[in-house]
Amino acid sequence: MRFVASLRSLASSLLHRSQIEGDLDEELRAHIANRADDLERSGLPRTEAERRARIEFGGQERYKEECREERGGVWLASLWTDVRFGLRMLSKSRGFSVVAVITLALGIGANAAIFSMVNALLLHPYHFRDLDALVRVWEDRGIDEGYDARYVAPADAKELSTHGELFESIATYEIRSFSLGAGSEIQPALGCRVTANFFDVLSVSPTAGRLFSPGEEQPGDDQVAIVSDGFWKRRYAADPHLLGEKISLNGRMYSIVGIMPKDFDYPVPVELWVPLALTPEEQADRTQLSLQVLGRLKDGVMPDQTGAALANFSRRLEQDYPKTNAGRTMKALQLRKELYVFTLPLFLLLQAAAGFVLLLACANLANLVFARMIGRQREIALRTTLGAGRGRLGQLFLSETLLYAIAAGIVAITASFASVKMLRTSIPAGWTKWVPGWNGIRVDGNVLAFTIAVALGTGLVLGLATVLHASHVELNNTLKETGAGSVTPAKRRVRSALVIAQVMFAFVLLVCAGLTIQGFVRLADIYRGFQPASVLRVEISLPEKTYPETVKITNFYQQLVRDAASLPGVQHASLITNAPASNVDNETTFFNIEGQPALKAGEAPSADLQIATPDFFATLKISLISGRFLSEADNIDAARVVVISPGMAQRFWPGDDPVGHRIKLGTANSVEPWVTIAGVVGDVRQNWWNPTTRPVIYKPFAQSAQRSMTLLMRTQTNPASYVSAIREVSRQIDPGIALRGVATLEEEVNDSIAIIRIMGILMGIFGLVALVLSSIGVYGVLSESVAQRTREIGIRLALGAETPALMKLILGHALKLTAIGLAIALPVSLTISRAMTSLIFGVVSMNATIFAAFAAVLLLVALGAAYLPARRAMNVDPMVALRYE
Amino acid sequence: MAGQAQILPGNLDLLILKAVSLGPLHGYGILLRIEQISRGALLIEQGALYPALFRLVRQGLLKPSWGTSDNNRRAKFYELTPAGRKRLHQEAADWNRLVAAIALALGAEAEEV
Repeated sequence: MRFVASLRSLASSLLHRSQIEGDLDEELRAHIANRADDLERSGLPRTEAERRARIEFGGQERYKEECREERGGVWLASLWTDVRFGLRMLSKSRGFSVVAVITLALGIGANAAIFSMVNALLLHPYHFRDLDALVRVWEDRGIDEGYDARYVAPADAKELSTHGELFESIATYEIRSFSLGAGSEIQPALGCRVTANFFDVLSVSPTAGRLFSPGEEQPGDDQVAIVSDGFWKRRYAADPHLLGEKISLNGRMYSIVGIMPKDFDYPVPVELWVPLALTPEEQADRTQLSLQVLGRLKDGVMPDQTGAALANFSRRLEQDYPKTNAGRTMKALQLRKELYVFTLPLFLLLQAAAGFVLLLACANLANLVFARMIGRQREIALRTTLGAGRGRLGQLFLSETLLYAIAAGIVAITASFASVKMLRTSIPAGWTKWVPGWNGIRVDGNVLAFTIAVALGTGLVLGLATVLHASHVELNNTLKETGAGSVTPAKRRVRSALVIAQVMFAFVLLVCAGLTIQGFVRLADIYRGFQPASVLRVEISLPEKTYPETVKITNFYQQLVRDAASLPGVQHASLITNAPASNVDNETTFFNIEGQPALKAGEAPSADLQIATPDFFATLKISLISGRFLSEADNIDAARVVVISPGMAQRFWPGDDPVGHRIKLGTANSVEPWVTIAGVVGDVRQNWWNPTTRPVIYKPFAQSAQRSMTLLMRTQTNPASYVSAIREVSRQIDPGIALRGVATLEEEVNDSIAIIRIMGILMGIFGLVALVLSSIGVYGVLSESVAQRTREIGIRLALGAETPALMKLILGHALKLTAIGLAIALPVSLTISRAMTSLIFGVVSMNATIFAAFAAVLLLVALGAAYLPARRAMNVDPMVALRYE
Repeated sequence: MAGQAQILPGNLDLLILKAVSLGPLHGYGILLRIEQISRGALLIEQGALYPALFRLVRQGLLKPSWGTSDNNRRAKFYELTPAGRKRLHQEAADWNRLVAAIALALGAEAEEV
């Protein structure tokens, strides 16, 4: 009943606002008139009676305001008034509004942009049904690092899929590069061999055609292919009759049976999928970890429950097959989390930095708003006298700051469409095509909701801060004072604290930006020793069908290297399994040292394995440390040799020269021959996340040929001009071979560290914004303090104070604020940068110079910001200043 | 003004309900009625009456309507709603209990303790 009455009162007060205001006026007028009638009857003259009646009644406006509040719905009605008032204030003090909106828009926009990345890459990298139930499974040998090394032996995968305790279904797959087409039309195409249930496990269906049937996993029945939307559109111009077309892959004919949807790019953006048809021998293999495994967990199985069950399963395999499976443990990781390994630290860092920018912007705006409050003290006092309660005033300030925040939010959202697109396209597609979700970086509903929430939150926080700050206005003094309002020491302290906070945020951001940029420069420098600008790289994979055995593979590559090296202007040509900066981890292998007790698998030493031709070291200008390089004499008939990295030499032969020692690759019982260490060559940083000092073993290509290699050519002139020549060389030897990844090594290096560069640039932008905002803050507080102290300064001048002393006073104030900020910021940024060093794989290293340099920069900027107010103080005319107020 | 008592906050509502329970009244009328029934012992700030009236209307205890006063002025008259009548009885009973209890307490003599 009461509730209904309240609602009715609210509704009628909203609907009949002006009428109700009129009624209230009339009611009070009637009261006063009635009272005056009574007073007149008691003998007073009419005018005197009316005057007395009004006085007896008390403050009409105050009671009216109380009545409005009692009626309910007043906040809605007055909100509208406040919004209109706020808009008027906004347009009246245009300069202030522009600064306020831009400041906030920077903070909000930074967060929106970074959140769009977090949203696409971390929250929605894939669009599969029940993404959380999808896990990647791999066998951990204890030596593999990074997620390039997550493989399962085919027989183990088979056994796992019949295990049935954890998984609803298990799919296996293998990424492969194919030579597409025939004759002179041959082109490389990245593809994936998958089990027939692969798409069912992911629960995706083709837009046209069908999926594979289990029968098509049989070798011989497997010549069917499903192609990507991109393949269909790029290569076949979206031909509606593509299904049933035949394509040649590695010299075999496949018919196209399906087309996948546009956004499907699992496991990486490939062009086609073919059945994984393994021969019975391949299926029974437990020695090679060659397949990738994807599982969908049963309903109710939590991802973190899989660890113990998989460990049990691995122990059983180890008991059943001790020769192959010793020391292997199966592990599982949610598909979603697998990506985190790489991106989470980077984006958390960026999001944190963006958050700092917003905090800084808030501190800055709070300072501006508080400063303006001083000018508005009389207004506030007047409103209070006329009956505005604290709640009513709070609503006024809140609606003003909310207006700023909303305007800033609108600016930020508008700008974010452009800035997000810029972010997305600023990293070369060559790198980002491996990042699932990268193309999904856009301003979508989530980003909009986030941005709006941030904007409103900012407005609320600022508004509440303003309300708290402005709540105690001394009515009498403020109304009596004729000059500008005064500032209590407490309020001045609040504003100083805000400036200190700004300096702190700015310093932390600048240090983080500096460390990241320095890390990037250092990374680029690491590869500089290779002189990558004059190296061309080409990836080649020979098809199994035409190159079934080692002799043919060796012949092809040796011919290729010889012909490439004899091209005019080519200084060196060589082969390597995995060129530096490829963003792929090296294959790792166990090995045994002759004369040392053979260790159990899992405890045996391990190293990266590379296969190289003799000229590889000359091509990349890698130095010789002891012994000799690989040579042409190390052929298939010669004694088996390897060369190793200094990291390996120091770890396993500390204080000794490993040259002449013998090792055996593989585990203790492996059938590999003993090989002699012929030399030690300089360290190579494989990828930015690998430490330089990893142990590496280089085997001569002639003694261990394999199908997929990278050709490196050092050229005298621009390597890009050799692209057509090397294509021709390859075509002459075998027209059926497709060349992939043709680029200069410098392009490859730049692509591989692009993400660090982007991070550095973003952090740099954040740092600069922080610097500008904090200098505005310092300027604002000092200008106001000078304005406040004009009288004091005038007296000092009149009493003979020298201008240098005054200058010292003002600049000293600026330095004090900055120094306090720096003192707080130092431990904070030390902690943060220490976290950064461990989070982003050794890119960042501590650097005292950066700390000192930015501290100096902030102090200088503070001095600069204080200079103008200080000059104004010195130009104070004592006469004017003393008359002031 | 000796002999007059300030009203405790909250009691004004009760007095208004009581005044109006004797017949519909306009604001000034309520003021006079309270003076009359308390024999001038209670002092009410005139303006403070109106926020209280608005509050009681919002709570659904009073019903306002426009009418004409004795001296032919348009005035807003308030009358008690059934809910208002119920509230009046309840609060009056509460008040009487409270007053009796306090009177009892204040009248206590040493030997009674």
